[in-house]
Amino acid sequence: MGNTLEEHIKRTRQLLECGEVAMVIGYERGSVENRRRATFVKEVSELERMVLDGLCCENLANYLVREELLRSFDGKKVAIFLTTAGVRSVNILAAEGQINPDCVIILGFEAEKPGELDSAIKMLDGEHVDHYADSIQQLKSRGFVNDRAQVIVKLEMMSAEERFAFWREQFSRCVKCYACRQVCPMCYCRRCIVDCNQPQWINASAHDLGNLEWNLVRAFHLAGRCVGCGNCERACPAGIPLMLLNQRMAQEVLKEFNHFAGESSTQLPVLADFKKDDPETFIL
Amino acid sequence: MAQILEKNKLDEMIARLNGDGCEVFGPRKNDTSSWYGKISRAEEFCFDQILPDRPLKELFFPRTEPMMKYEIKKQQVDAENYVLPKKQRVIFGARPCDAVSLTIDDALFAWDACDEFWFERRENSVIVSIACNKKDDFCMCTSLKSSPDVSTGSDVLLHELVDSAGWRVSAITPAGQDFIDKLGDVFSTTSTDVSVKPPAEVPVKFDLDAVIRKLNSPEIFESDFWKTISVRCVGCGVCTFVCPTCHCFDIQDEGDVYHGVRRKNWDSCSFAMFTRHASGHNPRPDQASRWRQRIMHKFNYYLERFGQISCTGCGRCSRVCPVDMGVTQTLVTLSTNGGK
Repeated sequence: MGNTLEEHIKRTRQLLECGEVAMVIGYERGSVENRRRATFVKEVSELERMVLDGLCCENLANYLVREELLRSFDGKKVAIFLTTAGVRSVNILAAEGQINPDCVIILGFEAEKPGELDSAIKMLDGEHVDHYADSIQQLKSRGFVNDRAQVIVKLEMMSAEERFAFWREQFSRCVKCYACRQVCPMCYCRRCIVDCNQPQWINASAHDLGNLEWNLVRAFHLAGRCVGCGNCERACPAGIPLMLLNQRMAQEVLKEFNHFAGESSTQLPVLADFKKDDPETFIL
Repeated sequence: MAQILEKNKLDEMIARLNGDGCEVFGPRKNDTSSWYGKISRAEEFCFDQILPDRPLKELFFPRTEPMMKYEIKKQQVDAENYVLPKKQRVIFGARPCDAVSLTIDDALFAWDACDEFWFERRENSVIVSIACNKKDDFCMCTSLKSSPDVSTGSDVLLHELVDSAGWRVSAITPAGQDFIDKLGDVFSTTSTDVSVKPPAEVPVKFDLDAVIRKLNSPEIFESDFWKTISVRCVGCGVCTFVCPTCHCFDIQDEGDVYHGVRRKNWDSCSFAMFTRHASGHNPRPDQASRWRQRIMHKFNYYLERFGQISCTGCGRCSRVCPVDMGVTQTLVTLSTNGGK
């Protein structure tokens, strides 16, 4: 059975009418022609402002962990438009105990050419996050075939000094606006490490050292958790290629631990779990 | 009669200024971002963008800067103020909206205490702006009762010639006249009038007076409007950091128990941490109240205290907002029927 966009819309209408969901999170037209943005629909009459096309790139799973919105769900379910990357975020949020996956109805879709207005949209089958296991497996078996992989190879060929100089230059533009953190579904900490000052783990200033500390801490915190949605890189006002870091970490975790972030809602976190018979002795 | 600066004279201008110990800054660009940075050769300038991603305030109020260093000893504390190196600067190719922002922030930085870092740099800088003959969907200077060729805040204002070969030069302030006189024959003089490109036609997006009236009405503060309009705000600091007039900062001591550096860092009212008390109480507990503060500060409190609106209409906040929010939509809604 292949869901069509019409079926998705019919389903959202049903869900709202019967009161099963408190809200549908999807996309609407943005402030200018080529922009789409999140929309939060509570009434059937508001459904008409929703759109779905190739420009709908933002991973909306971020809004599932926003406190203010959660309060308005009122114990009811929420329906949300997500790509496979978004579905993976839901898996991680469930695995890490942040959301109850049974309360999220997923309307899955995938753009053939993300970022392009006339891209064909494929609707994915399923509603519960567990229904999307096949799509996620397909993504996993495809591996990291994108233009980023080539850039990563180039970076790998640099000497350590050259690579350090490359990242230092990139991070020097960071202004610490924390947009990368705020748009990331995985950055749900109530109090981020950079906001702690007793003790101050990370320099608050946006100087070279402070920027390096922040960006590296974030990259490590996302290792094995980043689903590659690209929200952070699109949000960065300084144009720092954050996905180069995140993808490199994801490749490493896949290679070393066969861990593909967000594979299932019961997946154990790769850097926060251990086995008693682990051959490495430094852990226990 | 008009004075002309030809684009092929820029290298000569830079060399002359550098020779007099004066640094040149201007709009620059790389693959991923643009900013006002130091210029040593004319080819580094990038004049063909609407405006740089990062605002001019960076050159006067950097995102982080040392104020003093300190050392705590058994019987005493040694503190040494950080002294700015005295450097004359010319900022060439600023956008008029960015030049305006400096005069807006002057009021704040001279308020109860005089911010010496800001004014030291202000006094040592000559601002040469280029009137805009292009705009994009986000430009809204006209909505703020300003214009693409406003001269406020500029010492010299340039208008691009119709043949794009250079600019017509107008001195706005005595410092600007001085700049022109010193460079002398870098400029050429024509006895006839010259044709310059007309300023960009920036449509008016909202009625500023209606916004001000609405924000003055007693019911607006507690209105649900703020929740509705800010529903997608994720609480990052992008809009405040790219804003040419946002000036909030945080003072941080960096170091260990015995010595360190006191720094002044950009801060943002969008951050939950901005108003969080040590007790854990937060008087602005949600994004809606933070967004209200941002709008009220710019279009109500600042106006009441300093007689100016703290917005130049550059549009950067809306241009870069990762969730496509920005100030513009809020103002448009306030000026029509929103905020009831």
